[in-house]
Amino acid sequence: MGSFQPALYKNPLLVSKLAARIAELAEKLERPVKIMHICGTHEHEIGRFGLRDLLPNNVEVLAGPGCPVCVCDSDLIDQAIQLALTPGVILCSFGDMLAVPGGIPLKGERKGDVRMTLLDAKARGADVRAVYSVFDAALIARDNPDKDVVFFSVGFETTVVAVAALLRRQPPENFFIIEANYYTPPATHLLPKLEGFNVQGFLLPGHASAITGIRIYEHLPELGIACASSGFEPVDVLAGVASCLRQLTEGKPLLENVYGRVIQFEGNQKALKELDEVFELTRMRWRGIADIPASGYKLREAYQSFSAAKKFNAVLANSVEKSVHEHPKGCRCADITLGLAKPSDCPVFGNLCTPDNPYGPCMVSHEGTCRAWYSYGMSQNHIEIEVV
Amino acid sequence: MARYEHVRLSHGSGGKLTLELIEELFAKTFASQPLQELSDAAVVSNPGGRIAFATDSHSVRPIFFPGGDIGRLAVAGTVNDLAVMGAKPLYLSCAFILEEGFSLEQLACVVRSMKATADEAGVEIVTGDTKVVERGKGDGIFVNTSGIGFISEGRDIGLHRVCAGDVLLTNGTLGDHGIAVMSQREGFSMTLELKSDVAPLNGLTEAILAAAPNTHFMRDMTRGGLAAVANELVLRKPYGVRIFDAQIPMHHDVLEYSEMLGIDPLLSANEGKILLAVPKDEAEAALTAMRAHPLGEKAAIIGDVIKKPEGMALIETAYGTRRILEMPIEEQLPRIC
Repeated sequence: MGSFQPALYKNPLLVSKLAARIAELAEKLERPVKIMHICGTHEHEIGRFGLRDLLPNNVEVLAGPGCPVCVCDSDLIDQAIQLALTPGVILCSFGDMLAVPGGIPLKGERKGDVRMTLLDAKARGADVRAVYSVFDAALIARDNPDKDVVFFSVGFETTVVAVAALLRRQPPENFFIIEANYYTPPATHLLPKLEGFNVQGFLLPGHASAITGIRIYEHLPELGIACASSGFEPVDVLAGVASCLRQLTEGKPLLENVYGRVIQFEGNQKALKELDEVFELTRMRWRGIADIPASGYKLREAYQSFSAAKKFNAVLANSVEKSVHEHPKGCRCADITLGLAKPSDCPVFGNLCTPDNPYGPCMVSHEGTCRAWYSYGMSQNHIEIEVV
Repeated sequence: MARYEHVRLSHGSGGKLTLELIEELFAKTFASQPLQELSDAAVVSNPGGRIAFATDSHSVRPIFFPGGDIGRLAVAGTVNDLAVMGAKPLYLSCAFILEEGFSLEQLACVVRSMKATADEAGVEIVTGDTKVVERGKGDGIFVNTSGIGFISEGRDIGLHRVCAGDVLLTNGTLGDHGIAVMSQREGFSMTLELKSDVAPLNGLTEAILAAAPNTHFMRDMTRGGLAAVANELVLRKPYGVRIFDAQIPMHHDVLEYSEMLGIDPLLSANEGKILLAVPKDEAEAALTAMRAHPLGEKAAIIGDVIKKPEGMALIETAYGTRRILEMPIEEQLPRIC
């Protein structure tokens, strides 16, 4: 892998050449094409660089289930809140998760079907701390031997590897995790079976594929879907789009790795081995979407002593009042996560639901589609200006 | 004072230790005439013109960071608030809230830094106050400064003068202070050459106004950085702004560090950078004047005020694409992945 050269992958000349190549390929298309990415960082970077402005009218890039914060089961969020409110517990979480509403109704404070978040728990006196990584949470456990430290372990393949690495290296005995790590490939298997799903290409996730490799996506080209792994700089994203279009115009969908400086076809074997030692795949609830077999990580028997669910099963057995709806009323996060709707199709987007007062999960994290659309003004196809 | 190494509650009680602290540290270091007199209020002369008056409290952590400290920040912050209104800052007050147990040696360093910065800016610290809170009730040291400056006849700088067609400029690299402080906090600073840009800018603003007397608007881009100021500029206004992403001067450390942590340098704080709106025919003059000044060597034209869309701050990328430059909402935190 070369040295860090972000400027190269932002180079305007390369970008304009790729945009021209995409336009050329698009002319050969017989019908409009939709390409879905499945990583929140892709949507964020597409917004940040305004990349949709560079695409022809018959090529649409849309966001799929790529935000771990957005798909995290509301029951797990409620567990985190319950544990945070338990005396003697320090709840550590990535900053992204703190403002995500779970299933516990919060009456009277704000308008609409408002649910409790970890920040609401904090305001009620819970010791909730934002951490940058699982290692920071372990340090907090070491420094507070008289407390139980619970790490809300949210994230995809990329993040769970760090957790496995830590657990293999004997973290403090007062350290526990809420198992909320998701494995994305089974969700991509599910997508083509959805009614109304109309996507001809996938941009495979850059970070997650660095761990898993991309061979696991082999079944997609067999379904006629073009696939390209892609990084996050403008050049990477456009190269991925161009690859999908070339595959489609040639009528030969395949699995192309256009992010070779980071992704290997077979993934990172060393990381996968550590991961496999600590975690095994299990059925997980994808919020508002489905229970998907083998789509999440649970601790293996030998590592059960780190399970917050096990340690605190008495606390978690206490029932709390929960809404029967996974997403708040009116929120279309589920459809948006599946690429079946755009944020601008959602009735609460931008009014009841804004980044400073998020109503649904997709408005919270920068990985969330609604958040990216709101922040970068993506509801407008191209922002027209008038100068003096 | 030399008898103690740490701040005691008595240093703020108004008695003997308070007097010692004032005489031996504050009055001695700041060395202004009104402060020597130990009276209840400073009496100063009035050079004429309208009065600009500003106040600012500072609670930065760490207290000492690459390129500055809380003292330099406190003086430069208030000086800059006055300078961007076109005022010539002259007098500052300085109030400390100290936590019992805070190091007196560190306090002396902060005070010396305040004096050095005040000298650099040509202002006097003429009055002050000290309070001490019990251990655990403060965070070491908080510093408040207020300042008075005078605006000479005929000058009128403010939001009300901005109009479509104005050119937007800045005096140098953006995001330096925020990233320098954050990197120190996270233990990365040893690997960076980046320093905070904290500096008093009144010399620079005078140079700008001499070269471009019709300058419409200036503001220092502190918390929230360019994103906050650009949005304040257009809030409920019949015009918008457009920032050319590729023309924003940026230190390579800021670029790389923010790439690495997934944060946006345009939202990062500056303590020595201003955004100015200048009529088109004076833009070149303002740019030349800034580049001739040590605090404006990397000055650049970074955008313009546009007719439409109204009330929006936009980024135009190096690729000619456009997006919204969002008003900052919360403290920036690194993301999950």
